Amino acid sequence: MRRFLILILALLLAAPAVAQNDPGPLRLTITDGVIEPLPFAVPSFQAENAEAQQVASDISRLVVQDLAGTGLFREIPASAFISQVSSFAQPVAYPDWRAISAQALITGAVTVSGDQLVVKFRLYDVFSGTELGEGQQLVGTVQGWRRMAHKVADATYSRITGESGYFDSRVVFVSESGPKDNRQKRLAVMDYDGANVQFLTDSSSIVLAPRFSPNGDRVLYTSFQSGFPRINVLNVANVGQQQLGTAPGEMAFSPRFSRDGNSVIYSLANGGNTDIYRTNLASGQHIRLTETPSIETAPSLSPDGSQIVFESDRSGTQQLYIMSSNGGEPRRISFGEGRYGTPVWSPRGDLVAFTKQNAGRFHIGVMRTDGSEERLLTSSFLDEGPTWSPNGRVIMFSRETQGAEGTSSMYSVDISGRNLKAVPNQGGASDPSWGPLQP
Amino acid sequence: MQTPGTYISAVGHTALIGWLILGWGFNSEPLDFEVMTVTAMSGEEFEQMTAAQTPEPGEAEPTELVQPEIDETAPAQPAQEQAALPAPPPEPVEQPEEETPPPPPPQPLVTDATDEPPIEPQPPAPPAAAPDLPPSDDPTPEAVPRVAPEAVTPPDNADVADVQQDAVVPDEAETAEEVEEPQEATSPEEAATELAIEDEEPSGAVETSMRPTARPSRPAPPAPEPEEETQTADAEAETPPAAETDTSVEDLLAGVVGDEPAAPQAPAVAAGPPMTGSERDSFRVAVNRCWNVDPGSVAARVTVEVGFNLNPDGTVQGEPRMISSDGDQSATQTAFEAARRAILRCQSGGYQLPADKYDQWKEVVITFDPSGMRLR
Repeated sequence: MRRFLILILALLLAAPAVAQNDPGPLRLTITDGVIEPLPFAVPSFQAENAEAQQVASDISRLVVQDLAGTGLFREIPASAFISQVSSFAQPVAYPDWRAISAQALITGAVTVSGDQLVVKFRLYDVFSGTELGEGQQLVGTVQGWRRMAHKVADATYSRITGESGYFDSRVVFVSESGPKDNRQKRLAVMDYDGANVQFLTDSSSIVLAPRFSPNGDRVLYTSFQSGFPRINVLNVANVGQQQLGTAPGEMAFSPRFSRDGNSVIYSLANGGNTDIYRTNLASGQHIRLTETPSIETAPSLSPDGSQIVFESDRSGTQQLYIMSSNGGEPRRISFGEGRYGTPVWSPRGDLVAFTKQNAGRFHIGVMRTDGSEERLLTSSFLDEGPTWSPNGRVIMFSRETQGAEGTSSMYSVDISGRNLKAVPNQGGASDPSWGPLQP
Repeated sequence: MQTPGTYISAVGHTALIGWLILGWGFNSEPLDFEVMTVTAMSGEEFEQMTAAQTPEPGEAEPTELVQPEIDETAPAQPAQEQAALPAPPPEPVEQPEEETPPPPPPQPLVTDATDEPPIEPQPPAPPAAAPDLPPSDDPTPEAVPRVAPEAVTPPDNADVADVQQDAVVPDEAETAEEVEEPQEATSPEEAATELAIEDEEPSGAVETSMRPTARPSRPAPPAPEPEEETQTADAEAETPPAAETDTSVEDLLAGVVGDEPAAPQAPAVAAGPPMTGSERDSFRVAVNRCWNVDPGSVAARVTVEVGFNLNPDGTVQGEPRMISSDGDQSATQTAFEAARRAILRCQSGGYQLPADKYDQWKEVVITFDPSGMRLR
């Protein structure tokens, strides 16, 4: 009864108050979306003169390949198109594209004059019936048509996802040939999609673990030319070399550039103890960053350069630690079962990728920089050496197959764990290091 | 010289000597009554006898070989406990049947050595099963776990962990996604979800406490979250008049009003009866299925509130607009674009909403919260 009386009272009180108010907007909360590739359409780019016919078609195919290759986009085949785009300047018939559920539409035109290649393109948001960003025009050479296509794809990717792309980038890696017991190793660079392979060194001596500089002009690598591992700096443009000075008997390896490219952090083994050092490339000045009897190696700097993540066996097993970039007391971030190694700080700064060995298998995984939210993305006989795409979205790594005939090849995987695929490459390849987005 | 060891040695030796003496004394008595009769024989007779038995010595040797084998089986038990023998199948088969007790002692030893309580509970279980099922099946499964932990523990503890995880890994190992799932221990994300909700509802604390009181009184209508927010509006409107009343009464009032806002609202605004839970849900689902979230993007960490107006036919009027967000500019823009695409794409011919309640849905605010879809 009492509750009933209160109810009556409430209604009496509430009625006038509510009656004076607008009902207000209808409020809903949505927590469950769908995870699916975004459908897009790329009608073949218009060739504005006869010479451009072939390259226009090639460029539009490569744009599709780049975007669909991310796993985030799905191409709508040209056979489903209702209307064709006959002119770059012609207004887009949005209803025709809506009808086939295309959410993004890319149109373009290509002109070739002599060796010069001009690509124009526009991106449309079909469902709001607007153009996304301004139309853009790129000028380059006919030989560089792949880069032009990658740039179109990068612009599209970036406008739709809000994050920068990674298609116009290169990867330095170790090209391998021959059997496992007598393997020839050479440094090589390629486009992110495996095209345009160029060799930087011959196979006269063993090379390991190349690392791109932040702006992609130089490569650090470990060379066994002298019998001892030494760190070399190689200029990509003219293949000039410089060696990092180390004392006799010291072994230097696992180098990485600092974010400004002026210094190198690396491991130095001396008398059975391995610690992390930093050397200024111009002055040659060394700073020792760790001083423990245990093994500290594989340093990687955070994007802001303030911290270093590295691996250490000071706890008895190989685990990941983070310390200030000037040294100091590290804190351990990996606590799972198994051994953790080769940490690499994401360019976004939020994640650390690593190799994990557990129960006889290898994994590539990511965790947040406080060690939480560890996720393993791959699992195989031997996966190792992760490297981040310039936008921190994709991880490339090397995978080796079992047995004496086992070969090494490079794979990439989205940080969601989806879209695992082999990077096309002729012959064996390992130790990739993903360079920056090219200017 | 006079160390405790000396005393212990002296006492021990004395005891041993004393026992030997006593032992000789006991044994000497039984020895007496064995008497053998001996007959003398010539050398020729002996040769004849040995000649007749010549083949037998060859046979006698194998029998002697058989006996050592039997002797070895007895010491074999300590040998296996000490070091990991390859465990020839026949021998273990005999042991478990005869001596089930020995297995338990080595296992506790393993527990002390390694840091893994969860693993050892399992080994104790099999011995329990062993007495129940003595037949041939049990010995073989038991034999393997016993040998493995003993062999592995001394060299490396980590290897023991690896061996035991083998059972888990094959399940995980096949695909990367499956690997992710077992590691859902990362609960902090859910905590973030709650924070986000609190941020959205400024006056949330009191109202959430009202909910339980209101619901038991009215089990029927299943209208969930949206009603809370209408409560918010109503409660705020009421706050001035009811400000001086007792807080508990105020809560009750607010709860009751919030629970049934429609009855007063409907006549006053002339917008028809309140929207039912199913009407809200179908609207929500209609937008849901067009909301494409990329869980790997930074935008998947941003909750955005998007408002838009609807025409009477259910189509979107003008452009959706951003109301609030909890992320940085770039991520917010991407999250808003995804929300906007969802709203525009799924309207197709207009959202299916009750026309007589147009005043209630002519303006809509949707909160897109992807926190539950983040990567685990």
